[in-house]
Amino acid sequence: MTNALQGRRVLVIEDESLVAMLLETILEDMGCAVVGPEANIDDGLIAATTEASLDAALLDVNVAGREVFPVAEALRARGVPFVFSTGYGEAGLPEHWRGNPTIQKPFTEGAIRDALMKVMNISLA
Amino acid sequence: MGLRTLAKTIDLVAAFDASPNPYMLLDADLRYAGMNQAYLDVTHRRREDLLGQPVMQEYDAGPGEDASENARQLAASFAKVLKTGKPDHLAVLHYPIPIEQPDGTVLYDDRYWSCTHTPIKDASGSVTHILQHTSDITELERLRRQVGRLRPEEASSALDSLIGGGMFRRAMSVQADNRRLESERRQLLDIFMQTPGFVAVLNGPEHVIQLHNGAYGQLIGHRDVVGKPIREALPELAGQGFYDCLDEVLATGEPFQGRQSPVQLQHMPNGSLTTRYLNFIYQPIRNDTGAIMGVFVQGHDVTDTVLAAERQKLMIDELNHRVKNTLATVQSIAMQTARSHEDPRSFAETFQSRILSLSHTHDLLTRSHWEGADLREVLEHETAAHGLHRLTLNGPSVSLDPAMAVSLGMIFHELATNAAKYGALTPGEGRVLVDWSVADLNNPHLAILWRETGGPSVAQPERRGFGSRLIERNVRHDLAGTAQMHYRDNGLSAEITIPLNKEAA
Repeated sequence: MTNALQGRRVLVIEDESLVAMLLETILEDMGCAVVGPEANIDDGLIAATTEASLDAALLDVNVAGREVFPVAEALRARGVPFVFSTGYGEAGLPEHWRGNPTIQKPFTEGAIRDALMKVMNISLA
Repeated sequence: MGLRTLAKTIDLVAAFDASPNPYMLLDADLRYAGMNQAYLDVTHRRREDLLGQPVMQEYDAGPGEDASENARQLAASFAKVLKTGKPDHLAVLHYPIPIEQPDGTVLYDDRYWSCTHTPIKDASGSVTHILQHTSDITELERLRRQVGRLRPEEASSALDSLIGGGMFRRAMSVQADNRRLESERRQLLDIFMQTPGFVAVLNGPEHVIQLHNGAYGQLIGHRDVVGKPIREALPELAGQGFYDCLDEVLATGEPFQGRQSPVQLQHMPNGSLTTRYLNFIYQPIRNDTGAIMGVFVQGHDVTDTVLAAERQKLMIDELNHRVKNTLATVQSIAMQTARSHEDPRSFAETFQSRILSLSHTHDLLTRSHWEGADLREVLEHETAAHGLHRLTLNGPSVSLDPAMAVSLGMIFHELATNAAKYGALTPGEGRVLVDWSVADLNNPHLAILWRETGGPSVAQPERRGFGSRLIERNVRHDLAGTAQMHYRDNGLSAEITIPLNKEAA
C-alpha cells in the first residue's frame, strides 16, 4: 500500500528551494523519483516536454511571479497528470483549471499522496 | 330653446347680475351693452360710465411694455368672433386695473385674465352681441412666469414637471402664499446644484440634458452638454447600455439602479476614455397627468472606492500567498531539521534559531516596506550573535530584493551556525572574513567569499547535512547562482556567485 507510488517519476516545479526540498523529501519517502525540481517556468516547460517518461507532476501555481499554466498545458497535451500546489487553494485557480486536484500549502504527506494517486488513477483496493 | 324656456321661468338678467363671475356684453360696434355687478367690482367702474362707450376706448392696458400688444390681441379676438360667428378664447390677457385713490392719483392693480368671447346672434344668424366671460388667473400666471424664467423656452418639460408641477398644484389651494413656494423651489434647485453626488435632468424621448450640477459636469469633463440629446452630448457611451436603459425607463416608468457600474467616459476635458465606476439611479419624471416627461439622473462616482477595494483584494491575496509559502518553508525547515536531530532538545534549539533567522530577515524587510535590504545589514544580522569583532565584512553597498535577502539571510545563518559549531567561530582565536564585490556591470554578478581562518581544521563531512544542502540548493534554485564549499586545513571557505539581475541571467 505504501509502495503504490514506488518508482513513479514525478516532475516538481516550485520556486522556493526549501519548499522544493520538502516535496523532494516527501516524494522520496513515498518511493517516487523526483524530476527537477525546476525553479522557473522556462526550465519547467523544457522538462515537461523533453523528459522521457513522466508519471505525474506537482506544479506550484505562482512560480517566481509567473503562472504555471503553460507547463500544465504541455503536460496535458502529453497525457501526464498533474497536481497543483498553491497557497490560495482551489478557489485561487482560474475557472479553466478548477476541478483539477490541488493541494494547499503548507502540505501534509497524506494530501500529497492522495492527490497523486487520484490523478494517476491508482486505487488502494 | 332651453334658455328661452328658462327665461320665462326666472329673471335671467337678475341671475346674470348675481353671478360671481365677471361678464360684460358688447354690441356689434364693440360698445358696452351691459355688464354684471362682478364685472363692475373687479374693474372698479360704474355702470353709467361704461354703457355705450367703445370698449377699446375704455380698455386701458395700463403701464408696461406689453400693453399695446394686449390691446391688439383683445381687438383681434373681438374681430374674429364678429367675422366667424364662433366663440374665441384668450388664454392669458394682461389687464391692470386702474384704481383711483382718494387723493386723485391712479394706481394699477396688475392682473391677468383668461377670457371667452361668445357671439350672440339674431334670427338671421348675424352676430349682434359679444358676451365676454372672464376668470382672474393672476396668481397662476405669476407662478408660471417665475418657473418659466428658469428656462422660458421650454415651459413644458421634464424640469417643469419635476419642480414646477407640484408647485402649480399647491398654487391652486394656496394662491396667496407664492413667496413661500418660490423659496421652496429655489431650495430644491440649490440642493440639486450643490449635492456632492451628480444630478442631471434629461428631457423627452431624446434625453436632452436640460440641467446638471457641478458634480455631473466634473464627471463628464466639463463639456458643454446642456440642451443636447444624450447621444450627441456623450457619444462615448454608445454600446455601453446606458442609452438603452434611459429608453427603457422612459418607456416603462420603472426606475433603473446601477451599482459600481463601469463606464468608459471622457472624464478629463479633451482627454482619452477612462473607466469610472458609478452608483446611480435613473428615475422617471412624471407631469401632473402621470405622463413620463423625462429621466432624473442621480448618483455618485465610486471609482476610488472600487479601486481601493481591488487593491485591498490584491494585497490580501499577496499576503496570503506569502504567509502560506512562509508556512511551507517553516514546515520544510522543521521536517529537515528533525531528520538530523533525534534529540528533541537539540532539535528545538536548531529549529528555533533557523526560524529566528528567517524572522530577522523579515524584520529588516519590514523596515523598508519590503522594498529590499542591504547585503551588509543582512550579514550583520545573521552574524552579530557570534561577536562582531571576530568577523570582518568588506564590500560595497549592494541592495537585495526581498527574495534574495530572505535566501542570503538563511545561507549566512547556516554558515555562521556551522562556524560556531565546528569552525572558526568556536571558542578560540578563529576569524571569519567575508568579502564581496560586484563584477560585470552590464550583467552584474555578486561574488561573495566566506573564508574562515584560525579555527580547527575541517574535513568534508561524510554525510551532507541540511545546512550545506540548504546553501547549495538555495543558491542554485532560488538565486540562479553557484555555490562552492572548500573544506581546508585552515578552515572552510565558501564561494557564492549570484546574478543580481535574474531576468538577464
